[in-house]
Amino acid sequence: MALMERSEWYDVARDTEWTPRYVTWEELFPPELSGGEGLPDDVWRTYDEPYKISYREYVDVQRQKDAGAYSVQAALERADIYNNADPAWISILKEHYGAVALVEYGAALQEARFARWCKAPGLRNMAVFGMLDEMRHGQIQLYFPHEYVKKDRQFEWSHASMFSNNWVSLGARHFFDDMLMTRDMVSTSFCANFSFETGFTNLQFIGLSGDAANSGDYTFSKLIQSIQTDEARHAQLGTPLLQMMIENGQRDKAQKEIDISFWRSYRLFTILSGIPMDYYVPLEARHTSFKEFMEEWIVTQFMRELEDLGLSKPWYWDIFMRDISEHHHGQQLGTYSWRPTLWWNPAAGVSPEERDWLEEKYPGWNDTFGKVWDVMIDNFVNGRTEKTVPGTLPMICNLSQLPIVGTPSQTLRDTSVVYKGRRYHFASEVDKWIFEDNPERYRYQKNLVDRFLGGDIEPADLGGVLEYMGLGSIGPSGDDAHGYSWVESYRKQLADAG
Amino acid sequence: MATIPLAANFDGDFVLKLVPVDSENTMDDVAAAAAANSVGIHVADQPGRTLRVKKQGTDTPYARDTTVADSGLEPTECIEIYFE
Repeated sequence: MALMERSEWYDVARDTEWTPRYVTWEELFPPELSGGEGLPDDVWRTYDEPYKISYREYVDVQRQKDAGAYSVQAALERADIYNNADPAWISILKEHYGAVALVEYGAALQEARFARWCKAPGLRNMAVFGMLDEMRHGQIQLYFPHEYVKKDRQFEWSHASMFSNNWVSLGARHFFDDMLMTRDMVSTSFCANFSFETGFTNLQFIGLSGDAANSGDYTFSKLIQSIQTDEARHAQLGTPLLQMMIENGQRDKAQKEIDISFWRSYRLFTILSGIPMDYYVPLEARHTSFKEFMEEWIVTQFMRELEDLGLSKPWYWDIFMRDISEHHHGQQLGTYSWRPTLWWNPAAGVSPEERDWLEEKYPGWNDTFGKVWDVMIDNFVNGRTEKTVPGTLPMICNLSQLPIVGTPSQTLRDTSVVYKGRRYHFASEVDKWIFEDNPERYRYQKNLVDRFLGGDIEPADLGGVLEYMGLGSIGPSGDDAHGYSWVESYRKQLADAG
Repeated sequence: MATIPLAANFDGDFVLKLVPVDSENTMDDVAAAAAANSVGIHVADQPGRTLRVKKQGTDTPYARDTTVADSGLEPTECIEIYFE
């Protein structure tokens, strides 16, 4: 029997809508889970998904994608990328897998919630495919690092990081719980589909895919491309929903949620993308700086999408534009200084040639962040290793969970607020604004410093902190990716100077 | 006598650091405690110059013999430390 053309049956099959008789519409779609209050009931049927696909087509395409990625991995196993790539590239893989792999299962739950709670039948249908996408991403990003575990136990973090109290994991969980797991369906779609996926997974996946190919890791490049094609598809779910909200008088609500999620996504990616792009990717493989990438992919493209929808730039645009030139430099100094707290081996990325590159891309870098590196390099060159890891903790933001950093002698400052008797610290005015918009949502969470001061970490020293974070038990602590070989050029400079 | 954790912003550093001090410590003691986590680690030393402490957002430093208890600083409040 000949199959019908999809167009002949699609509109019937996609619209799995019915009229409830045993429960009310409100009971079927409770506002706290479904969101979209204030929109007329009949508007949900008008949701028109921006792409059409049947289950048969979906499975066929996904099977081909999986076959492509897994076959490249198998074919290139003999290339032995682990032993042949720059060690800093291996650090990028460890950081990526530990921060991303298990989170994909969280994203699968997020899409499953869309499939149940969304009032728009067309979106519910598409969210099922989104859920399957995310499950595939979780599986493939656990399978690929697994082959490295026998060579390097830091790859254990791919599967373990999100179950640990590592500070990076605390930050990632706070972010993903806020953006993906604990908002109503409509708000989650704005945060996850529109801001996070449309705005920022491009940064992680397209940027990293190019860096992977330039670094000779075609397996990772293929893997990331494979995932990105799914992301680019299901990220579109949020846009028609945004249009519906705006057309029905809820522009301000949508704008605020995008302002919140855009900033939170950006700050997370300063760690996941900013540091690797400007410090870990081998110099000869770098094409653009993090700032240049942000300007091309976020400032230009994402802003165009906002304008097309009739939305505005976030209110903190001037802060953001300055921040892309500085925040990740502070986080690189922080992660490298407290390297024993990482599950990967950070690259310093500050050889004389790399400093020239940083100064060219970020004029003034040598006179600000570079001066801090000067002190650290002096310690390395003169064998004062005990002074290369601080003996105390950094203050940590009660929203982003990241260390509170700034440009030395220019923008470093505390932004704090006392709420119901507790002082909360923030890494920026924007983080504070997000907290104060809904303090009851965030007030109970304890960051690493709160836990340290509250007696949750014993003994209350660096050793106790490392043990609390799972360092040494899940996998070894981080140390310099290149075994400090980059210090030699400075040692030689010192010797030449007499 | 009580331990008071403070947030230290040492001039020239890139990150706020947690510095526990005692309520009976003077501001010179506080400056020394902050310096132990910054000078020679992330900030170059300036031998011969005196360290001063002020509360973030204020223009005038504390007198060097002011104690933490007398300063009114609350736990985790931010102080700025700089070479005079």
